[in-house]
Amino acid sequence: MYAGIDAGASATKAVIVNKDSEIVSYSIVPSGINFKVSSREALKKALTTSNLSLEDIAYTVSTGYGRTLVNAKATSSEITCISRGIHKLFPSARTIIDVGGQDSKAIRIDENGRVLDFAMNDKCAAGTGRFLEVMSNLLGKPIKELSTLHFKSSKPVKISSTCTVFAESEAISYISQGSAIEDVIAGLHEAIAERIYNMSSRIGFEENVAFTGGVVKNKGFSDALGKKIGLTPILPEEPQIICAFGAALAAIKKHKESVGNSS
Amino acid sequence: MSSQREKRRGLQTTRKIGELIMEHFSKAWDVKAQGKPVAWITVFTPVELLYAMDIYPVAPEHFGAMCSARGFIMEFLEEAEKSGYSQSLCSYSRCGLGYAISGMKGLMPPPDFLVTFRNSCDVYVKWWQSLSMHLGTPLFVGEAPYVLAREDLDNYVLDYVVKQLEQLVKIAEEKFGLKFDMERLVSTVKLSDKASELWLETLKLRRIKPCPLGGRDSASDIFPLVVMQGTNEDVKFYEELLGEVKEKVDKREGIIENERFRLLFDGIWLWYAFDLIKYFEDRGAVFVYEPYSEAWACRLDASKPLESIARKILSMGLNVDIDLRIERFLESIKEFQIDGAVLFSNRSCKSWSAPQLVTADILSKEFNVPYLIFEADMADPRQYAEAQIKNRIVAFLEVLGES
Repeated sequence: MYAGIDAGASATKAVIVNKDSEIVSYSIVPSGINFKVSSREALKKALTTSNLSLEDIAYTVSTGYGRTLVNAKATSSEITCISRGIHKLFPSARTIIDVGGQDSKAIRIDENGRVLDFAMNDKCAAGTGRFLEVMSNLLGKPIKELSTLHFKSSKPVKISSTCTVFAESEAISYISQGSAIEDVIAGLHEAIAERIYNMSSRIGFEENVAFTGGVVKNKGFSDALGKKIGLTPILPEEPQIICAFGAALAAIKKHKESVGNSS
Repeated sequence: MSSQREKRRGLQTTRKIGELIMEHFSKAWDVKAQGKPVAWITVFTPVELLYAMDIYPVAPEHFGAMCSARGFIMEFLEEAEKSGYSQSLCSYSRCGLGYAISGMKGLMPPPDFLVTFRNSCDVYVKWWQSLSMHLGTPLFVGEAPYVLAREDLDNYVLDYVVKQLEQLVKIAEEKFGLKFDMERLVSTVKLSDKASELWLETLKLRRIKPCPLGGRDSASDIFPLVVMQGTNEDVKFYEELLGEVKEKVDKREGIIENERFRLLFDGIWLWYAFDLIKYFEDRGAVFVYEPYSEAWACRLDASKPLESIARKILSMGLNVDIDLRIERFLESIKEFQIDGAVLFSNRSCKSWSAPQLVTADILSKEFNVPYLIFEADMADPRQYAEAQIKNRIVAFLEVLGES
């Protein structure tokens, strides 16, 4: 068995795969402030689900912001891991848009899953999960409800500011002017979608386009993003673990290499 | 491992830069004590002419880079911001203004003369005017029209700048009781030309695999070209540097041990995050070409000293048409066998960063050269997201490794 651990800004994900690259189990835990703890917990949880123990894992690769703090044999970047993960599941994908807790990325890959180009948001929370977290706190609506509310909206408001702090005051002023909360939420989703669209336009949207990352689990948002780009995306069953899955695939490869080298 | 660490420290000659900088500033105080004028200049202002007239030049931009590299820029940035200068202004200008406002008690002596040419940047004019306003120091602002075609370096545009140089001489003579001496100018122009020639020859050796001079050296080694052009010390430094680099080439010794990727770096360095270059080098990536390093060298013709100085002012990289800049950028790809390009989009220097997206597009579509763009500031550490940038570097090098 092989493990991939993605120590992300808001959640740590662990995926265990067998030698045939099939997902055996996975887990998602909050990252908190200590990646060492969260990665250990995530792996333990995934092992428990599949009745495995640490000894069953031949090789672990870590990725994500906290990758160097995770107890793993090798590290890899999220860009490579996401590409590898998506390519394995959806070989027809040529563009990947990943929206995570702290950053968003657009990746262009070739028919072999090789990264051709990528773009990432700059040092700014707008266009990331953090933005939605701030807004959900502000509006007093849990993240999980945002999607349902989104689809109730008939007239999304226009959030023009690209800055999280300014967008917050914009949202407040819409609420105080009597806009419906669902219209504000849909407006916020569209604002993030637009920002990500602009960032990704540089690398283009060659089809098929896959969405990954924790934020696209919010169907309201992924709908807004798909509409903005003008296409129906590939949406993995669990988009949040793709990066960790890619890291687990890297573990298989690295393990083979290390065995090959030593023999 | 220890030998590898030894080599990664870079060139022996580069280590002299720190001392040269300290000498440069302490000499400025000495000159001032002798009653001679010190000029604050923007870079690409003709220091050859100033040295020839016994006016000692110091450059607040260089001072800003140094403050940032040594970790004490915040004091001056905050001072400027407190006085109302916006955080979105160039960080060099905020540092220079903050230093002026806080009483100039550091390495750089107060100016007797403020000289600028608006050639590489529009902020220069307002920055120098503000300094003059705060300090009450005489100000000279020269205008350098944007060079749209190479012919502009020989026509009325050139005459226009020559006339301004003559005017600058006249003003300096009147203000400080100095006498302009053409022979002295010829001699500073000769020295400046020699230093540029040596530097260009050194840069050319970076075409060789493995590359004998990396980014950490090139970023430091440009210092004498900024404010010491026209002095003997300047030429001496570049002679020594070229000698050391040639030795490395003869021994087929690279600046890093295992050269996997040869990179281009576009932009001014992030002075407070110099370690970033090491981060690349630790992963087998070496910088072999930077438009920025090359920009400082300019050949001069001692038989036409004023014209060649005017040509230097005009042809400064940021004062020429973007197409001409991109042309040189693309030439370098083959010349230096570049595997990938790192483009630093600098919040402080929009005139440098402006063509980057266009260039990146050509790089990837026509040259199939992968590139990385990241945003930060050259001197203000608050605009820097270390984890995020390192994350991208790793991904970028993985892309290079696969291609």
